[in-house]
Amino acid sequence: MNNHINLIDLFKKNDERIIRKFYNEHKNGFILFAKRYKITNDDIVDIYQEAIIALIENAKKGKIDSLQSSVSTYFFSIGKFMIFQKLKKENSKFSLQDFSSLEYIDENYTEENFNTQVALLQLGLQKMGEKCKRILELFYYEEKKMDEIKELLGYDSKDVLKSQKSRCLKQLKDSIKEN
Amino acid sequence: MDTKTLLEKYFDGSLSKDEKIDFERLLAEDSSFRDEFEFEKNVKSAITLNKRDELKKMLHSFETTKKPKKSFYWIYAAASIMIFVGLFTWKNFSTTNYDTLFDEYYQTYPNTVSPTVRGTTSTDIQSNAFYAYDSGNYQEAIALFSEIYSKNGDDFALFYKGLSLIELQKYEEALVVLQKSNSIKISTFEPYFLWYSALIHIKLQNKKEASLQLKLLIESENPLKEVAKKLLSEIE
Repeated sequence: MNNHINLIDLFKKNDERIIRKFYNEHKNGFILFAKRYKITNDDIVDIYQEAIIALIENAKKGKIDSLQSSVSTYFFSIGKFMIFQKLKKENSKFSLQDFSSLEYIDENYTEENFNTQVALLQLGLQKMGEKCKRILELFYYEEKKMDEIKELLGYDSKDVLKSQKSRCLKQLKDSIKEN
Repeated sequence: MDTKTLLEKYFDGSLSKDEKIDFERLLAEDSSFRDEFEFEKNVKSAITLNKRDELKKMLHSFETTKKPKKSFYWIYAAASIMIFVGLFTWKNFSTTNYDTLFDEYYQTYPNTVSPTVRGTTSTDIQSNAFYAYDSGNYQEAIALFSEIYSKNGDDFALFYKGLSLIELQKYEEALVVLQKSNSIKISTFEPYFLWYSALIHIKLQNKKEASLQLKLLIESENPLKEVAKKLLSEIE
């Protein structure tokens, strides 16, 4: 499937046009499915958006590089799982049969680690320079190995990259201390 | 292994079983290691939250920049110009245009059944059928779903076969297939069988049959009741 390799690449690059296209193409189908259950329209849109975000994140983390089925089916399985979670949470009735073949989202996906330091770091990161921001994103968010990052950013040696990353972290740490 | 490398391997996901044990031990015994770990964990959370906020903003913008459905937009524009000319324009907009209605209400129903095939070559006929359906190979999908249906009598096979025929614009054939569902007792797809049958009747301009299907939908409790009401009002 040539065109889905392209799609995943564009997701990795955060290409707004392709994301919008995917978003608009799949929304109605998703709503059609979700309407079977007792979920408000607003909640359906929320879940839909969360599923899209999870899809893009998984693309960036390289989790769907060897996907065999279509991206749409994969995406839909994520969406179904999120609906399933919501229904369980609200103890709503549903038929288990409807929820076979789900794409389970990692239990670590829900970002529950939130505290003052995280909030301060969020601000600090926004103020950070592009070079440092990129290194930290590639490592902590896209979960890439240092070797890969070295290749991507064109560093000559891994040690040079490592010390740069350390400096970026220290810079970040200092910037939030000032607050 | 030095602590920096251990932390690096934690975050890039490459800790071996033994290294994991060392990691846990260090976490419990060494408070400066624990502090550094907590800090980097918070950095990871912060980046993740920021990236997700960025994406959320982007997706919200898709919702608000969406123009209202074409027909409404033009009706209001035309009406405000024509308002001095009179009700003449309204009469034009109320004639039933079957093709437009069909296009407006028809949506390809997504694959809600097939498992995600990851990293394994599946020779399972069901997976192949859905793969064909997802890829737009409706001819192949039809053949495979027919096979599944003749073997197991599964309602989903009938349903997706019907949908594939609609995609190929073979409306009469699709209708025959979808009508077979009357012989299947309880099916989660039942309202959808009625819905798509109604849409085909609209495409074929069979107002009476379309109304019949839609009325059946309106009579029972099902997720398509509201949209069926809406469509029915448009053709009557």
